[in-house]
Amino acid sequence: MKRSAAARAAMAIAVLLPIALVALVAGLFVGAGNLSLRAAFSGVEPDATVLFRLRLPRVLLAAEVGAALSVAGVALQALLRNPLADPFIFGLSGGAAVGTAIAVALSGTFVGAAAAAAASWSGLLPSQIAAVAGALCAALFVFMLGRARGQLSPERALLVGVVFNSFASAVVISVEAVLRPEQAQSVLLWLSGTLGYESAPVLLAAGVLILIPVLVLTALAGRLNLLALGDDGAAALGVDVASTRIIAFVAASVAVGVSVALTGLVGFVGLVVPHGVRIVAGPDHRILVPAAALGGAAFLVLADAGSRVLFRGLGMEPPVGAVTAIVGAPVFVLLLRSRR
Amino acid sequence: MTALLDVVSLHYRHPGHPADAVDGASLEVNPGEVVGVIGPNAAGKSTLARLACGLLTPSSGEVRLSGRPVAKLSRQERALRVAFLPQQQPNDLLFTAREVALMGRAPHLGLWALEGSHDRALAEAALVEADAAALAERPVSQLSGGERQRVFLARAFAQDAALLVLDEPTAGLDLAHQVLLVNALRRRSREGRGALLVLHDLALAGAACDRLVLLVVGRVAAEGTPAEVLQPDLLSRTYGTPVDVVCDPATGQPLVAPRIAR
Repeated sequence: MKRSAAARAAMAIAVLLPIALVALVAGLFVGAGNLSLRAAFSGVEPDATVLFRLRLPRVLLAAEVGAALSVAGVALQALLRNPLADPFIFGLSGGAAVGTAIAVALSGTFVGAAAAAAASWSGLLPSQIAAVAGALCAALFVFMLGRARGQLSPERALLVGVVFNSFASAVVISVEAVLRPEQAQSVLLWLSGTLGYESAPVLLAAGVLILIPVLVLTALAGRLNLLALGDDGAAALGVDVASTRIIAFVAASVAVGVSVALTGLVGFVGLVVPHGVRIVAGPDHRILVPAAALGGAAFLVLADAGSRVLFRGLGMEPPVGAVTAIVGAPVFVLLLRSRR
Repeated sequence: MTALLDVVSLHYRHPGHPADAVDGASLEVNPGEVVGVIGPNAAGKSTLARLACGLLTPSSGEVRLSGRPVAKLSRQERALRVAFLPQQQPNDLLFTAREVALMGRAPHLGLWALEGSHDRALAEAALVEADAAALAERPVSQLSGGERQRVFLARAFAQDAALLVLDEPTAGLDLAHQVLLVNALRRRSREGRGALLVLHDLALAGAACDRLVLLVVGRVAAEGTPAEVLQPDLLSRTYGTPVDVVCDPATGQPLVAPRIAR
């Protein structure tokens, strides 16, 4: 098997592009009701509204979040030199959960009302902003505590992240104890990762905010490759290891933060997609980063379409985060075991 | 003639340690020279090697690469002058041997890190030089320890720097590949390049190097030709175990053998 960079890039395109197209078609046409394309395009209701106001924004949201989480996963896996690192490992999920729980707990109070007023200009809810703030604070916290001798120590950061997430879930449970049942329900739904319907300006802003880290990480790809050689190995080839880590970390955090704000915690995407994409695209980040963006977008759109189809008969839709976890966990174990 | 590497009364202390790991060491590597650093465990050999590549910042003293203070070089300029083989190589790389060899070209590439045909040709030549060409298509994670070491040597060769700093380059290498490495270093030194090797095998150090530096607790205890440095008294005292040195009648090389009681 030829493993040159060009051959791998061609292979990645050949495999991922059809999957992405299938995902797009499935995302647009699969749902609770039957949709007539001709009717939708000639403006016949309700088909036009369903296609342009419901399906399309939802597909775009899923694609954006899927791409962001996958690329963030690739970046953090390179930083931690561990292919099993999840974008939420840096305490991001725990931090987001604590932020959301506190925001919901405060929502009836004076503080909550003030926060809601302050947050309204951005088109987001206070709980969304609290989730992002919590996630980023936690990431920063883990990044600082995960250092040894002035350098990020991958093993230490992983452990601190795991411990912090456990600590955070204890905090969330404590906060939930004081919440009203319906508030606790909304926190739970949020934490399990839900795709909703966002307005065009929000989708556009999120798209730009996600595209920037993807481009930054693509430009950083050569250096991410060299990080695999270890800190000394990379530094001896001219890489500024510390600044590469910080830039990649910030880029990944922005991508994850935007995703958390829009959809809560959609797990396993950042773990399963990079793993799967590596099988076709190889470990070279110059190919892997853009390929993971494409693969992640396709994966989440498909997962969302799948959840709409599979549970149609039950008249309900599980949160997409539950679907990605139900599909992702076994797929991940299979991928792991298939590799040597 | 400017030395490829000039280390001047270098001091370095690891953070949180009570004593200097490198305590006033000086040495140089001239074009065409292979210099070996020997010494007991924890003598500061690896620290000295990393200081020589600018990977650590000394607390005092200076490192010059081809006359330029290493502190004044950019990371890229530094990587164009010196190629470094760390003591330990990652064993979980999914990259193929060829991709790892190509990584040696990184300091020569632009922003998007795209290699040209010249880079690919040099990486192939380096794989051949390290006898790793047959491994080119295999992921490094699937290789044995010695095979992996050859791939990383190829990476260092592909970097095409005037100075090689190799920390225990023969670790894991069988006899034939040790000889192959020494011959490759000799060939490069005839082109006016140089190498600084950290070695534990004193017999190999005597055979491979033009000059040896004996490092003890961060200080240079002896320096000179292998015959000058490989003295039985000095080695026995330094290593704390009786050592014999005999002269190979065929080549005149000193042969070092620890005296082991039966």
